Amino acid sequence: MANPAPPRPGVALIADRYAVEVGRPLPAVGGLAAFAAVDQSTGRTDLMAIQVQRHLPPRPRALQALSVPIDGLLTPLAHGITAAQPGSAEEACYVICLAPPGPSLLARPRPWPEAELLECVLRPAALVLEQMQARGVTHRGIRLDNVFQPRPGQPVVLGSAWAAPPGVGQPALFEPPYSAMCLPAGRGDGSIADDVYSLGVLLLCLGLGHAPLAQLDDAAILRRKLELGTYAALLGDQRLPPVVGDLVRGMLAEDPEHRPPPSLLLDPASARGRRVAARPPRRSQRAMPMAAAEIWDARSLAHAMAVEPETGVHALRSGAVVLWLRRGVGDALLAARLEDLVRHRVLDSLPDDAPGDAALVMRAIALLDPLAPLCWRGLALWPDGIGAALAAARATDPDASARLQEVVALELAGNWAAMRPERCDFAELRVQARQQHAWLQLRGAGGGEARLCYLLNPLMPCSSELMGGHWVTRLPELLQALEDAAGRVDRKQVRPVDTHIATFIAARSERRLDSELVALAGGGPDDAAWLAQIRILAELQTRHRAQALPGLAAWLAEQAGPALVTWRNRDSRASITERLQALAQVGYLAPMLALVDDPAGHDADAREAQVAAVELGRIDAELAQIAAGASSRASVANRLGQEIAAGIGLATLATVLVVAALS
Amino acid sequence: MAKRTPDPAVTGIVAAQPRQHSMVWLQGLLCGAMAMLAPPTALLMGVLLGPAVLALLLDRQPGRPKARSVALLGMAASVDPLHSLWVSGHSMSGAAALLGNLHVLGTAWAAAAAGWLLAEVAPVVVRATLEALSISRTAQLRALCTRLAEEWGLDPPGGEQ
Repeated sequence: MANPAPPRPGVALIADRYAVEVGRPLPAVGGLAAFAAVDQSTGRTDLMAIQVQRHLPPRPRALQALSVPIDGLLTPLAHGITAAQPGSAEEACYVICLAPPGPSLLARPRPWPEAELLECVLRPAALVLEQMQARGVTHRGIRLDNVFQPRPGQPVVLGSAWAAPPGVGQPALFEPPYSAMCLPAGRGDGSIADDVYSLGVLLLCLGLGHAPLAQLDDAAILRRKLELGTYAALLGDQRLPPVVGDLVRGMLAEDPEHRPPPSLLLDPASARGRRVAARPPRRSQRAMPMAAAEIWDARSLAHAMAVEPETGVHALRSGAVVLWLRRGVGDALLAARLEDLVRHRVLDSLPDDAPGDAALVMRAIALLDPLAPLCWRGLALWPDGIGAALAAARATDPDASARLQEVVALELAGNWAAMRPERCDFAELRVQARQQHAWLQLRGAGGGEARLCYLLNPLMPCSSELMGGHWVTRLPELLQALEDAAGRVDRKQVRPVDTHIATFIAARSERRLDSELVALAGGGPDDAAWLAQIRILAELQTRHRAQALPGLAAWLAEQAGPALVTWRNRDSRASITERLQALAQVGYLAPMLALVDDPAGHDADAREAQVAAVELGRIDAELAQIAAGASSRASVANRLGQEIAAGIGLATLATVLVVAALS
Repeated sequence: MAKRTPDPAVTGIVAAQPRQHSMVWLQGLLCGAMAMLAPPTALLMGVLLGPAVLALLLDRQPGRPKARSVALLGMAASVDPLHSLWVSGHSMSGAAALLGNLHVLGTAWAAAAAGWLLAEVAPVVVRATLEALSISRTAQLRALCTRLAEEWGLDPPGGEQ
């Protein structure tokens, strides 16, 4: 066993043990940068750190479910945040997993013998998939460059697919057509049958010694798969070894339910004997032009309508689709259902009702091809992939983001599921759609699309600019990021809790902070907003037992003006300001909040202010009385002066009389 | 020809006149009685209190405050000469001798003048005192007002900005 490597000073470890060697890059995994990693506690160096992209959050369910390793799979060992570069303040998130034990299968560009395909590829991969199925997760990253073989003749090892949304790095060749047509981030976890499909394509590629259809782009491959079926589309007139050929034919079935489960693949002979009678799609006698292509079957028509929904609406409204289905394809039942759908739509529709037309196309596609994903205005996705799709679209494609929000706002997943209840859990999808709609409806700070995005992607980092280079996925990390931001920003102008942060907190915390978030979003007085901010942050600091945050406290103290102004008495205000500054230096927010948000003190202050106002009014009245009393004072002075003169005269007379009497 | 209704204000003034006249007649009666019974005293008092009589005629203010002051001080100055007249036998020659004494006459009239001066100056002094008190109070109130306004963040009264 290797000696533990000495810990490198200044480098944060992931899970307190894994160090990322950013100076030693490894081949990218599914488009994500990868680096060598070292286990500092054991000295193990055969590790790999895959860097997560901000807009493509990792898969929390897979990271949790695969915490116990599976042989033959590069399971995630840990995930966490560390410096993107040594000594840099920029942080990055990495998923640590075992490094590939050998080259990828791309390194062997020759046809594999059947025995090696079965023993080194099919059985070990099926065993891994069986265990993954038991844990309730899928792989969604089986392809030539993500399956590795330590040495020829040894079982292959499935690579990592945990650092990004499921299937995001998969080329259309390895994805089932109903997944390949989706947004890359919107493919969802899918089912283990999708992994069986990818494994089937892998076997096909290895059996042929090359990847088929290499000259075609993803869209063309997808069209070809839909038109001919995957097996025929990929194999063409080439041949596979008989056993592998039969297995691959089953594994590439268009309907996931027709594909053999991993447990069956462990015994290739049994799997080969399993025949599922899949009804071939009805082919029309005449082609229907749509989306710059000739359509021969309902499945291709559904795909064409998904790609060009405007053309699809026109064809539906004109009756061309129904006519083609009835006369060309000869499927009177499907034509009648579609006709019924269009008739209802025409009766209910308003002029220029674009969402209604798009909903018509979505329903029509679900009728034409129940295996197809949810298609909305040119986008396709599986409902369980909407979170990752939103996260990716927010960063890269605002138009797609808007359309995804429509999917949520109109609860389309529920409507879509209602069209194909036998293919999904309609009740669960409807509940989820309503819940997502409710989150989206929340407006202001703590609601809307951003909150939906954070809620659906638990490992998505906070996207506030205040985070700087920090990668904040949890609330305790948020406080430290704000503490660092306090040294960079203009504390007078920038609020510590901006809209992004409020949304992030709303999504990551319980409902206890909702009232404060509402106060923050309400556009109310500045003092209420300040109090809401410090309440939220103080609550987080207390709840997570965070260390002292003097920078953040000073930031809040500098913005406390509006809240301090509510104290009417100047001396009290000065005293509170002074004490607030002193508390800010300590760095704990709860005492600062208690000092400023003191109801008893506020009541006393208000009462005394009222007394002062009354006194001021009395003084004002007295001043007015003095100003207006000049004439009355003159009158009084005149009368009093005369009385004094008379008094002096009387006194003098009396004195003289007394003196005269006595003399 | 219609009968005219008397104006109450006018009738009030008219009604006040007879009382004034009656007092004048009463005073005249007393003076006449004194002149009949004690001519030396009447002569002496008439001359010594001449300014007071003059002031009574000139002072039109209600209560005749100036005349009152002049009369009181004039009477105070007349006590000693009257006492001397009565001690020396109460004769017309004694009264004339006293009136011929400039010191006696000057003292009496100077006292009358002092009475007039006192009646003029006393209201002025009192008014000045009251104004000084008002100014002091105003300054005191304004200072209090400013302090309260600053201490409690209240708007100061108009003109106290």
